[in-house]
Amino acid sequence: MGDKIVILEDIQKIYQIGKVSYQVLKGIDLEVEQGEFLVIMGTSGSGKTTLLNIIGLLDKPTSGRYFLEGEEVSKFDSKKLAYIRNRKLGFIFQAFHLVPWATALENVLLPLLYRPEGFSKDDEKRAISLLERLGLGERIHAKPKELSGGQQQRVAIARALITNPKLLLADEPTGNLDSASSKEVMNIFKELNAEGLTIIMVTHDPEIAKNGKRIKVIADGIFVDEKQV
Amino acid sequence: MKNRFKQIFLKDILKELLANKVNLVFMLLALIISLTALNTIYSLGASAKKQVLDVLANLQFGKDAMLVIAGGGKIIGVTTTRTDTMKMKDVENIERLEFVKLVSPWVRGILEVSYEGFSEKMRIEGVTPSYSLANNWYTKEGRFFSEQDLKNMAKVCVLGAEVPQKIKAKQVIGKKIKIGGEYFEVIGILEPKPSFGHFRHDERILIPLTTAMRRVFNKDYLDAMKILFKENTDIELAKETIRGILRQNHNLYGIQPDDFRLITPDMAIERFTATTRILTVFLLAISVISLVISGVIIMNLMYANIEERAPVIALRLALGATPSNIIQHYLTMALIVALISGFIGWWLSLGLMQLISFFSPLKPLFSWTTFFISLGFSMLTTIIFSLIPAYKATQIEPSILLKSL
Repeated sequence: MGDKIVILEDIQKIYQIGKVSYQVLKGIDLEVEQGEFLVIMGTSGSGKTTLLNIIGLLDKPTSGRYFLEGEEVSKFDSKKLAYIRNRKLGFIFQAFHLVPWATALENVLLPLLYRPEGFSKDDEKRAISLLERLGLGERIHAKPKELSGGQQQRVAIARALITNPKLLLADEPTGNLDSASSKEVMNIFKELNAEGLTIIMVTHDPEIAKNGKRIKVIADGIFVDEKQV
Repeated sequence: MKNRFKQIFLKDILKELLANKVNLVFMLLALIISLTALNTIYSLGASAKKQVLDVLANLQFGKDAMLVIAGGGKIIGVTTTRTDTMKMKDVENIERLEFVKLVSPWVRGILEVSYEGFSEKMRIEGVTPSYSLANNWYTKEGRFFSEQDLKNMAKVCVLGAEVPQKIKAKQVIGKKIKIGGEYFEVIGILEPKPSFGHFRHDERILIPLTTAMRRVFNKDYLDAMKILFKENTDIELAKETIRGILRQNHNLYGIQPDDFRLITPDMAIERFTATTRILTVFLLAISVISLVISGVIIMNLMYANIEERAPVIALRLALGATPSNIIQHYLTMALIVALISGFIGWWLSLGLMQLISFFSPLKPLFSWTTFFISLGFSMLTTIIFSLIPAYKATQIEPSILLKSL
């Protein structure tokens, strides 16, 4: 189990809407190793987002077991889950989800706001150098609405990286971007992965999926295909 | 750099507040209006009480004084016993007590007063020379009564400060005015005294006690007396001693009720402020209700804010904020609103008091009490009514962030 960062065992998710229940995930088994760049591909309604929510600890499975770095996180309470999300996970969303009234720098520092020890001057320097590395050195005090889509997503990437996460989770990260910006973001992902960061990305776009090292295809709540790139 | 951290934390909250200015303005407005009302009403009550105290202090009715009023019964209300039993003998007996500095007895009534073309019913008091000392009230013109005036039952009078103006008389000293059918020579005019309500101190006419009893009212009993004690007298003990003397002189034994009332300054203040207090309590109750309404408004606006901010809250949760972080965030926000409106409410009430003082005898009263009451109530209201919305915020599912199902 040593370098397996994520292990899912027979994960099921059932949504109850009134009297009707939908089984979105019908028994998912998955192992992700340290340093992988896994792409989960599927059409809309296939359950890929629900799966990412569960991996990202934003949602709980109805049944099944989930180990993150050897810990069975499916048994943790909400406070412990918040701690894990803050220390081990980084999120990239399709809609960026930047705080509209905060500057790029403040957005990057946001996750550190929820650490009891706060943050140091070094953290702030690190945030600036992350933004610089992502080509936003000139724009650290810009508000999200003053930035292009590609720039906003790069701020979001910096925000995900500030906590030095073990696992980067991306949900259609290029869904709202033009092709040039998409390519840029994918190059950053590849670069980060090459430095050893484990990435799980969800997409419906086969072109984007090609950036990953391993692609698993999900359909109707179950993995149907797997290929190495 | 803990400070920098706090700075970002507060900045985040402030910016969130300012991001919806309409919402913020209504939150502030809701609180400010009720806080201004609360503060103003409280200040008016305090100001009225202070004024009563000032007036009483000015009349030498401090802690070393006591009033004895003929007729028994409750402090406020009709007398339930005879009222004609208090005599000069009582005064003489009390004057002899070693802890008594002086006694000033009086009789009073309303009589027709005429001077040249003027004629009106006015308040007449028959007093002794000790009246001046007992009430810290001296003549500004002319002289007060002497023992001689008392002995001779002289037909002289001393006017309250506003009387000459009222009866339209200039240079009134030495002139004669008609009181209840008899002519009295004016020998002095009293200095003005502050008064409150309808009880005008400066509209009375004083005549010697003996003259009043024998020639004007034709009675052998007193209406009241004021007693001044020597310093450091045990008032309770003095009260009991005087009560004993009066009961004995009036032949009251066993369970027969007192036919007199002993009034200490505390009771007088109580009496003077009783009516205003009922009003104040009533108005305070209304303003507390309005504060609750403000609270409900704030709760709703907070709800609206949290609903609008759901994605941001979800994001905070996804990035590792715990439920208590979220509650802290929104309670801090509530506190900021509370502090701003508490301060503005207090400041506005000061202005309002200033305005009221133009139309009424109440003077504006600056006090830190009202300042802290304002802030305290403001914080209490916002925190209580923000708790539920803040808790609601923690219930937001962070999974709404990933909508690309």
